This record gives sequence, structure tokens and C-alpha cells, in this order.
Amino acid sequence: MKQGAVQVAVLGAGNWGTTLAHLIAINGHEVRLLTHTEEASHEINEEHRNHRFAPTLQIHPAVSASHRHEEVIDGAQLVLIAIPSQSFREVCRAAEAFLSPDQFVIHATKGLEGGTHRRMSEVILEETCLRQIGVLSGPNIATEIAAGKLAGTVIASHFPHVVSLGRQVLASRQLMVFSGDDVLGTELSGSFKNIVAIAAGMADEMQVGENAKALLVARGMAEITRLSVAMGASPLTFSGLAGIGDLLVTCASPHSRNHRVGAALARGEPLQRILSQMGMVAEGVYAANAARELAARYELKLPLIERVHRVLYEGLAPAKGLQELMRMPAGRDVGRFDAAQAPHLHASKHSLESRHLD
Amino acid sequence: VLQQEGQSPKAGRRWFWPADLTAPLHTAGLPPPLAAAALAGFRRKDEPWVRAAIRQRIKDEPRLKEETIARTVALVLRRSTEAGGHPLEEVINETLYHEQRRLSRANDSRAAADRAFYANVRKELPYAGTLRLRQLVHEIVARYGDEISGHFDPRIYTVATRMLPVGLSMLLHGFSFGKALRLRGRLPNIDDRLLFEGEVDRLRELARLGTVMLVPTHSSNLDSLLMGYAIYRMKLPPFSYGAGLNLFTNPVLSFFMHNLGAYTVDRLKTDPLYRETLKEYATVSLEYREHNVFFPGGTRSRSGGIETHLKKGLLGAGIAAFSHNLRQGSAAPKIFVVPCTVSYPLVLEAATLIDDYLQAFGKARYIIADDEFTILERWRDFFRGLLALDARVHVVVGRALDPFGNEVDAEGQSLDPRGRVVDPARYMYFNGQLVDDPARDAEYNRILSRRIVETYLRDTVALPTNILAYVCLELLRRRSQQIDIYRFLRTIGPGSSVPFIEVEDAVRQMVSELKGLAEARQIRLCEEAQNGSPDILIEHALNTFSTYHTTPVIERKGMRLEVGDAGLLFYYRNRLDTFGLLGAPPLLPERGEP
Repeated sequence: MKQGAVQVAVLGAGNWGTTLAHLIAINGHEVRLLTHTEEASHEINEEHRNHRFAPTLQIHPAVSASHRHEEVIDGAQLVLIAIPSQSFREVCRAAEAFLSPDQFVIHATKGLEGGTHRRMSEVILEETCLRQIGVLSGPNIATEIAAGKLAGTVIASHFPHVVSLGRQVLASRQLMVFSGDDVLGTELSGSFKNIVAIAAGMADEMQVGENAKALLVARGMAEITRLSVAMGASPLTFSGLAGIGDLLVTCASPHSRNHRVGAALARGEPLQRILSQMGMVAEGVYAANAARELAARYELKLPLIERVHRVLYEGLAPAKGLQELMRMPAGRDVGRFDAAQAPHLHASKHSLESRHLD
Repeated sequence: VLQQEGQSPKAGRRWFWPADLTAPLHTAGLPPPLAAAALAGFRRKDEPWVRAAIRQRIKDEPRLKEETIARTVALVLRRSTEAGGHPLEEVINETLYHEQRRLSRANDSRAAADRAFYANVRKELPYAGTLRLRQLVHEIVARYGDEISGHFDPRIYTVATRMLPVGLSMLLHGFSFGKALRLRGRLPNIDDRLLFEGEVDRLRELARLGTVMLVPTHSSNLDSLLMGYAIYRMKLPPFSYGAGLNLFTNPVLSFFMHNLGAYTVDRLKTDPLYRETLKEYATVSLEYREHNVFFPGGTRSRSGGIETHLKKGLLGAGIAAFSHNLRQGSAAPKIFVVPCTVSYPLVLEAATLIDDYLQAFGKARYIIADDEFTILERWRDFFRGLLALDARVHVVVGRALDPFGNEVDAEGQSLDPRGRVVDPARYMYFNGQLVDDPARDAEYNRILSRRIVETYLRDTVALPTNILAYVCLELLRRRSQQIDIYRFLRTIGPGSSVPFIEVEDAVRQMVSELKGLAEARQIRLCEEAQNGSPDILIEHALNTFSTYHTTPVIERKGMRLEVGDAGLLFYYRNRLDTFGLLGAPPLLPERGEP
């Protein structure tokens, strides 16, 4: 191993996990990638390909793959987890037997657990002995990054060393890695923006025009910010890469899975068929459920999210939903700026978060 | 003749307590339970390891203070030279500012001495050179250290623990043996009113394997006495614990407190240097293997709710001591954090606490000096209520945690969520090195405090008084149009009542919900609720309420139950606030305290 090289375990050889492992290997670190099956690990080790999840990527030869947890995790300083939210807990459970308390963990999953609405960092705390947790989020379409295009991302953690180790292994001339400490906001933003992406997909498909789409996206952003702040996030997170940055990409790109779900719904296809045809997970479909229940718990009215939810689960026609929204009385666009509160936004993210957690 | 003697910490008076006095008392007609308690106390012999711990503690006490002072001073000096650190003049000026502000409102003998001391410091400060500045810091810290350190005296400890049950029982009779004689046989022992549940045996094991931080819930000033006595009853060596300076003003209490192992915490001292010294004292005492009691809620729960937001300062002493122990290669480096939930059917200071909560919602008085705790009659009424009834205080010792929030097994090993043994020392390592990282430790502490709160909730015992108050408030709330809970409480007045039959139904419903929660190990249920019928439970609660509070909380009026005091009703129901019982939303703000 080279001087200063870090040993990294990446759990999850999906599109994003494979790409992350590839980037880390390029930076000269030792990467081991956990695959679901033995065949997949053979393919990566021998042909340096992952035809199912990252078909276009020629994987760096230093990435070694295995389907056995202990081979991947043992001795790693940093564990990266890129697993869909619905199987995240299961993977944590299987990995736990081999984890050690001095390992750092960063997850790159944008979603909340179905049913419990737990954030992924909470799942890690509940299922493993790990404490030093971070989250990676931002406008990162895996295929673009795999193709060598430039991008930026955020690692947020309450543990400064986790952020610096994450930057050390990931940052390069291709990828700017920013730091943050609002774990809650970063996770919520990454999950909820997928709901807005579904709305944007519908808008594109219905050809309502750019103005109307911008109206939906901006109001959607206001709604997810309001909900997240009520849960304890810092509003500033939403003007950053993990907030507006991520939202711009997901709402603009027809590659985005959630965007595709929205477009298909606007064409009148039933949800079940869309999901089974796609073969990958669209987090927004679950997130809409979570956001609606959380909004009720915090006594918030979120008209756009409510409509997306009804389109998904109650068969509301997207055009009808849009009409309903346009007929609603328009109130204040954004909240009043309160200078007295401003310093506290910078200083006490921790106490803000703990209000939600404790 | 066995003779126990001790010296009062304050005056030079000597206290004698001839042990065989109880035997003649017994034959002379002292209520058998009283005499039995006294006799059992004096005849009891501590186990060898407990005796060894007491001996060690006597040896360590002076060194502990010196080391606390030396370390705090070293810390301040080191920080003053670091980039961005405060120079010593600033540190001293800050102390002067905080102390003078405090002293402007204080007027006792101690305050006068403090004033003289700080006047001198102020005079000297402008002319002090580096060396003198260091000395001044040392003098200030030494002054704080002196005040904080306990006056633990093993002889008095022996007497105090053995006298406490008798003392409490005597309190009950207005300190009169004559009265006690007349009431003979009708009084149950205070010991029967304390129920110890949970992991008592494990706690005893862990106290031998490492150092224990016992972290109880805090509802009443009685908690300090109760914990001191509970520790003795559980056959543990004496613990150190921080107790508010205001508790030391009563000479009788002060005597017990000091000698049950208390050290002083003056919450009026806002000087950061004082807090630093206090935290260092706790850390060093843990390193000396002195078991500690901390109340992580910081202050008594004003609302009556279980504290959900803990003060993390002293809690952090656990990680600090653990890290220091690892560096020193200590033989028993482990620190065990043991949550303890105390559930009272009645709370001595309930009326004052809830009053403070409601009045100053958003701006608490924080330290109350003039509550029921200082009024002897209220004490007597309280104990009488407690003893005359079949009501018990439940002390639940929770599952032990390591300083990182992992559960600990009977061998003192940390377990991960799947029951695998993990090495807690690894949490302090980075790149194979043991490293200091205050930001990391603060986060560990946050996780620990969440786990403690989870244990508190799990170990709360739902008592008849809590259940009845919850039901009555909920029934009234459902009928009210008022959404704001504080306005709603003001609408409850004399004459607010609910039909008994509705209460009975709701109690039945609630008990079945509670049983479900108890089965899922999310709460504990008292015996009355576990086995009795709703009307017996209601009867029980009404009886309890009627014994102590001057205005009855709830009273039976024909076929209805009438609410006498909305504040107290709210107070007793708040214990069950977070469980979502009867479909009610939580009424307390999420932080629990204003």
C-alpha cells in the first residue's frame, strides 16, 4: 500500500457504489467492494466490469470485489455504504459482525426507511457499534461521474475527522468535496427532493412550460425546507449543494429515476408497472409517504407534496392536481428574515438537531 | 458496649450514638419496625470489598482534591498559551465578573469571605506579573476545589446510613419518641416503601469490575437522600454525588448529605472556571475509582415529565476518565453508566415545581430556595402519606451502558446491538493511535445521553396517580375547544368534573394500552395496574392524592370526579406524556423543559 493510502470498504456495488469505489481507487487508495453475488465479484475482479449496474464504466483495476462481508470490511479505516434505503438495515445487520468501533462510516443513500421514516444515520446507530458517522450527498448523477465529468459533493458529519478522511479519499480534480455538519438536513434534503423530482417529471411530460415547472420546483423546495426545519435541520443546508444543487439536477435530468416515474405517471401508466419496468429503486415513491406522515406529525400543510402523494397512491390525475394547486390562495412566498435568529442558525445546529432526536 | 462516634463536619461538637441503645428501646416499647431497622442497621457488616473501597476512599480523598486543583490550573494555563486561547487576565476578569454578580445578591457568612477575597484579587490584578497571575488562578481554583470536595468521613458514613431509616421514621413523628411510642405497631418501615427493581445485581457486579456513574431521573430534592440510602441498601460502597449548595443549609440534611458522600455543587456560580473545576473533580474522582451519582437532568423536572434533554457537562466526565485510565494503563479502566429511574406516587415539591413551570414557561427560576423541601411540616405530611398508604416509590436500576451508549453485560463487556462483544477502547483510537478529540467525545456524549433517555422511558413505572391524572386531563381536553394547552389549563377550575363511569372506561382502555407497552418493554406497570380492576386503581389513586396535597388533585363527588388543582393534575399526568396513550398527542414541548 502506498504512503498515505487509506483502506476503504464500499458496501453496495450498485451504480453509485461502483462509481465511488472506482473514484477512490483512482486516488490511489485501497478499495474493496461488496457485491450481492459471487458472479458479480468475479466480473469486477476479472473483467473490471459491472454490466448490470454500471454498464459503461471501465472499473479501475485496483478495485477488488467480494461478496463476503469479512473480506471487504476487515481492516478498513473507512466504510462507505451505498445501498437503497429499503435494504439498508439488512446490510448493516449482516455487516455488524465484522465492524470495529474505530472505523468511520459514510453513507451515500438518499432516502428514509419505509414504515419507520428513520434516516440512514439512525439505522447505522441502531444496528451497529459504529458512532463516527457521516453522510455524502449532492448533485451526483453516477453515470456522469463515471464518464469522468466534473462534479461537486458534500460530506456532512458531527465528527470533523470523518469529514476530513472522506475528503482525503474522494476529493480529486474531477470531484470537489465540501464539508458540512448538518447531518439531519443533508439526509432529509437528499430524501425529500426526490418527491419534487417526481412533480418535475410530470410537469415536463405535460409540457406545462418552464415557468410552471420552476413554480412547482421552487414551491416544492420551500415545502421540503419547511418540513426539514421543523424536524431540526438548518435552513442554510437547503441553499447548498445537498439542497438546491441536488434538486436542480434531479428535476432537470430525464436520467433521474424519480423524474422518469413522474413522467410515466403523467402518461397515465399505473405506478406498479412503472416500478417493475424500471428495475431500480425510485426513492421518491417512499419519500412521499414519509413526508406526508411527518408533515401531519409536525402539523404542517404541504400542498405540493400532498398532491404528489395522491397522484402516487390515490390515483389523482396529475393535471387535476396541478389545477388544484393553482387555485389555492397564494400567501407569503418565504418566511420573514429574523436577524435575531440568524446567529443561532450558525451556532447551534446540534441543539437544533437534538430537539428532533431526543 | 459498641460505640460509634463521629465528628460533625461543621462544628467541633462530637456526636455519640451508642449502638446498644436500640435494644432497651425495643424492650421499652419502640415500634418493632423502627427498632428492627435500627438494629439491623447496626448489626450489619459490610462485605470485605465494600470495606476495602471505604478504606481506599479515605486514603484518596485529600489527593483527589489536590489533583483536581492541579489539573484544572494546568488546563487553564495550557489553554492561555494556545492560539485563540484566553490570556490569564481575561480568565480572572471573567471570574470577577461572574462572582461579583453572584455576590451582589448573596448575603451569608460565606459570601462575606468571598467578597473580601475577590476585592483583593481585583486590587492586585492590574499590577500582577505572569507569576502572580498564575498564583491567582491557582488560588481561585483552590477555593472552588475546597468548596466542592466532600467531607467524607467513614465513621459518620457508618452512622448516617444506619440512622437514616430511623431518622426518616422519626421525622414522621415530629421527632418525638413519645409519639412514636403511642403509634407503636401501626407504622410500616420506610424500607417497605422503597421497591428496588431491575439490574441491581448487575450494578453490584459492575461496581467491582470498574467505576460506576449512576445517573438517576430527578423529580425531588429527596432524590439525593434517597440515592444515598439506596446505594447503601443495595450493599454498594459509598458513592460520590454532587448536591446543590442549597441542600446544605439545613444542618440535619447537610450532615446526612456530606456523609453519604456528597460534594457540593453551587448552581449559582456561573463562572466557567468553577464549572471546569467541578467537571475535573468528577473526572478525577472517577479515575480514583470512586463511584459517582450524577443527575443528568441538571435540575428537578419542573413539568413532572421524564427528562428528555440532558445536561451533558458532567456526563462527559465518563469519557474523560475512561480515556485517562487507558493512557495510565489502569487495572480497571472501565466506566459504566447506569441509568436509574425513580417513580414517586407523590412528589414532595410537586405544587411548587409545576407552578414554576406554568408561570415561567420559557423562563424558569431554575433554583428554588423556598419550596416544600424546606418546610418540615410538609415533609412530615409527605412521609405520612407515603407510609400510611400502600404506596411505594419504585427505584428501577436500568441496564448499564458504556460511555459510548453500548449496553454492558454482567462481565462488564460492551455489547453491540446484536450482542457481540466490542472493545470500548477502540472508540478512542484513530489510525491505531489513542487520540484526544473533544469534538468526537462531545458527539459520543450526545449519543450516550439519548440512550440514557431511552432507558428512562423504558424503566418508568406507570403508577395509579399518573394514570388517573392522565385520564382525567385527557377527558377534559377532549371536551375543550381550546387548542393551546396553557390556556386550556386555565379553563379548568373548581367544578370541572368528569363522570366516574367515563373515567373507569378510559382507565380500562389505558391500562390495556399500558400492558401492551409493558409487554414490548417500553414502560413498566405497577402491581395495582397489572392485576387490579379499574375502580380499585382509581380508588387507590384518589386515596394517595388525598393524603398529601393541600388542595386535593382529584376528588370524588357523587358519580363524578372533580378536579381540584389543574396544575397538579397536569404535573402527575406529564410522567406519561411521551407514550401517546389514549391517542393523545404529547403536550410538553420536545425538550421537556422550558
